[in-house]
Amino acid sequence: MSTTSTEESKMTRETQETLLEVDDLKTYYEDGGLLNSNPVKAVDGVSFEITRGETLGLVGESGCGKSTLGRTLMRLEEATAGEVKLNGTDITTLSGADLKQFRNDVQMVFQDPDSSLNERMTVGEIIREPLDVHDWKTPDERRARVRELLETVGLQEEHYYRYPHQFSGGQRQRIGIARALALEPEFIILDEPVSALDVSVQAKILNLLEDLQNEFGLTYLFIAHDLAVVRHICDRVAVMYLGNIMEIGPADEMFESPANPYTHALLSSIPEPDPTVARDRITLRGTPPSPRDPPAGCPFSTRCPVKIRPDQYTDLDDDVWERIEVFREVLRERSRAELSLSDRVRKLIGRETVQAGMDDTLTELFGGLSVPVSVMDHLKEAADYAENGDEDAARAYLREEFGSVCDSERPDQLGVGDRGRLSLCHRHDEQYDEPAAVFETLVQ
Amino acid sequence: MSTQTETEIPLRQRVAENPQPALVWAAIGAVLVGVELGAILQVVVAIGGVIVNLVPGDPGAALVTSLQESLKGIPTLVSREFIPNQGYWNGSEWVGTFLGLSPGQAWAVRFVVVYAYAFAVLGWLWDGYKRYRQYYRRADWTPRDDVVNRFRGHTWGQFGLVITIAFVVMAVFAPALGPTTMEQNILQPYDYEINYFDEESQTVETALVGEANIGSGSQGAGDENVAPMTYDDYGRFHPFGTATNGKDLFTQVVFGARISLTIATVAMGIAGIIGLSLAMITAYYKGLADLAIVLASDSIQALPVIMVLILMLVIFQNTWVRDLYDGAVLIILIFSLVYWPFIWRSIRGPAFQVSEQDWIDAAKSFGQTPGQVMRKHMAPYVFSYMLIYASLSLGGIIISVAGLSYLGLGITAPTPEWGRLIADGQQYVASPSWHISLIPGVLITLVVTGLNAFGDGIRDAIDPQADTGDEAAATGGGA
Repeated sequence: MSTTSTEESKMTRETQETLLEVDDLKTYYEDGGLLNSNPVKAVDGVSFEITRGETLGLVGESGCGKSTLGRTLMRLEEATAGEVKLNGTDITTLSGADLKQFRNDVQMVFQDPDSSLNERMTVGEIIREPLDVHDWKTPDERRARVRELLETVGLQEEHYYRYPHQFSGGQRQRIGIARALALEPEFIILDEPVSALDVSVQAKILNLLEDLQNEFGLTYLFIAHDLAVVRHICDRVAVMYLGNIMEIGPADEMFESPANPYTHALLSSIPEPDPTVARDRITLRGTPPSPRDPPAGCPFSTRCPVKIRPDQYTDLDDDVWERIEVFREVLRERSRAELSLSDRVRKLIGRETVQAGMDDTLTELFGGLSVPVSVMDHLKEAADYAENGDEDAARAYLREEFGSVCDSERPDQLGVGDRGRLSLCHRHDEQYDEPAAVFETLVQ
Repeated sequence: MSTQTETEIPLRQRVAENPQPALVWAAIGAVLVGVELGAILQVVVAIGGVIVNLVPGDPGAALVTSLQESLKGIPTLVSREFIPNQGYWNGSEWVGTFLGLSPGQAWAVRFVVVYAYAFAVLGWLWDGYKRYRQYYRRADWTPRDDVVNRFRGHTWGQFGLVITIAFVVMAVFAPALGPTTMEQNILQPYDYEINYFDEESQTVETALVGEANIGSGSQGAGDENVAPMTYDDYGRFHPFGTATNGKDLFTQVVFGARISLTIATVAMGIAGIIGLSLAMITAYYKGLADLAIVLASDSIQALPVIMVLILMLVIFQNTWVRDLYDGAVLIILIFSLVYWPFIWRSIRGPAFQVSEQDWIDAAKSFGQTPGQVMRKHMAPYVFSYMLIYASLSLGGIIISVAGLSYLGLGITAPTPEWGRLIADGQQYVASPSWHISLIPGVLITLVVTGLNAFGDGIRDAIDPQADTGDEAAATGGGA
């Protein structure tokens, strides 16, 4: 395999057909609660495509749903809604022989090489098992195939009768890759395949994966949280946040000029090796909201540094505006907090709960700032609602007053650039400033 | 290419390439089997006889009988016929005993030979494993090697293993170990005659075994007592003395070991199979399947075990089930029904733990069937935990069976049972006939301790992290 053929495959990729098509996929976890069935929305309406032979990177902070998405594509989790089409067939409803055929075509490499190999089986048995399950040819040919696979992934034939315990992390991951290759799949889901390995070994495994892709024409979905790794290996990248794909597009372009505010923040967190380069690091405030109770509008609206403001507040002081957002988050947290039994009783008999004391919160947040009287009135009004134990009313009031399109409407994936990049942000609409431009003003 | 062919070679060919260790091992094995060939063939023919009996018309029944007769001619090392100890004193020498030794000495020789043979067979099997590991196994290391090596360094567990083996050998070789036979001394004493030397007339007389038993009971008084390691008035040697009715205590103890061991292992086996299967199902499917089994097992665990046993034994008192194997079958069924929740509970945790491993997901991802996932990827990890729990519970069952027999339930007389022996001798504990209760009691304690020690040993060998002793602290400090 020379570089020319790699170039060729990259060239043809543009014109080749779609291998996997995901359409509005949702995976919710019902945790069997009899009283409140408020599911965890791990994957909440995701759509994308993967063309044959490409590597799509899937990045995001932990808990954003990227692993769940991978497991749903693998049919290890059941999809709640939506479609996943592999070569045109919807795989979310397969069963019986069709499901078995699907299991032949799609394989997975797992994150933890310690846990993904059964320690009581020899390496040969581990790699052979998929062949046995699918009754691949004769037992003799299976053994020959396993030896061939061992060589393919850079191990030796004598390793056939060794146990996983006798190998290092990198070698174990090679065994996992050999197992995934055994049935000659078209599509491999790599679930953080190198994040448990030493940095020196990571590079070797990544190179192996690239070589294998060129040799066998594989298509990868590469799940990772290490952005440098993704940049190295992926053709396109999808950025996930709170069960949504915030931005998807060609890797080089996205790393050069991120379109979505969340991608901006994420990329600014990559450490810069050169200490002399001045960096404008964007630190996001707070934590991601609970996936049980995602925001009604844009998923990122609770933390977005460049959130669109209502017209009457565009000139409001940045610090005051930020404190208002913090105050809204406080209310959101309060409404989520479970009341203890004694608090419930207090609330019923009309006495103050422990949670009361919104005045203190207001003083703490806005004490040192000059807040316009009109704004302060609105805040006090909301605080009164909260004081009376009606956080929902308080939140609704603030959303009405300070909310914008970001709070009320879920943005569409809007096209950015001319290479098929999509970004989930209202600011790509013509009537608003682009996120990048707003970031410029923020940094000043 | 040489390595490529190396992995292909089947075991037979690997042996052919280096035959010496295997040949030596096989030769020792041939000797060990050869000295017991008669006994082994007799067992085979006896099984054949049972099968013939089941076939309508009994074809070849005559053949089986003639075979059995001809087999009796083959000498076997570990047998009463080869080392007889039942003889009599004719005034000048012992007649009918091994090499003219006294019955006590002849019995001791046979006792030693039995245990020596049993340990030789086990040693031979162990040697076979080591030879296989050293010369023929393709893997140069397996996780099981570590378990074996850790157990070899575990003295307490080895003590347990030795006691357990001694107990099992006692049960297996019960007919050869007793100074007399079950049939002659205990079941049909009035169908057999013995010769004995009458001190007064100085002649050899003949008596029925039953009459001799009446004359040699241990009833507490000085002249009505046959203590351990003594002869009775009829020249019969009693290693553990006699019971109250004059029957040989040692013979009863070894046959009692047989029935205790059978009940304990079979009941534990059935309970283990149920517990393991259910643990696999709950851990694999979780949710509703788990809830249903939790409810079922909690309901059973809420019952007091001994109470249930007594009730069931009383309810089935006069039915055919109660008569199967002197009541042992019923006891086995009750124990397995009552014990599976305990086993299931103890391995449910480990089963859930292993079901969370990535290799389960990996197996699902390439389409492995649920049954195979449970068998190949989950059960091996849980089985060892079950083994620990089972070996610890065996002692409990042995004690319970003894307790039932002590209460007059359980195994029906005249089949000997340790618990009933204890009950029989209870009123003589403070008399010269103390041995009737004490010896079975001490043996139960010893066997149960041994089984517990063995279970401890397995646990430490399988799961070194579970060590509670200073070993864990030492490794923790080092790492």
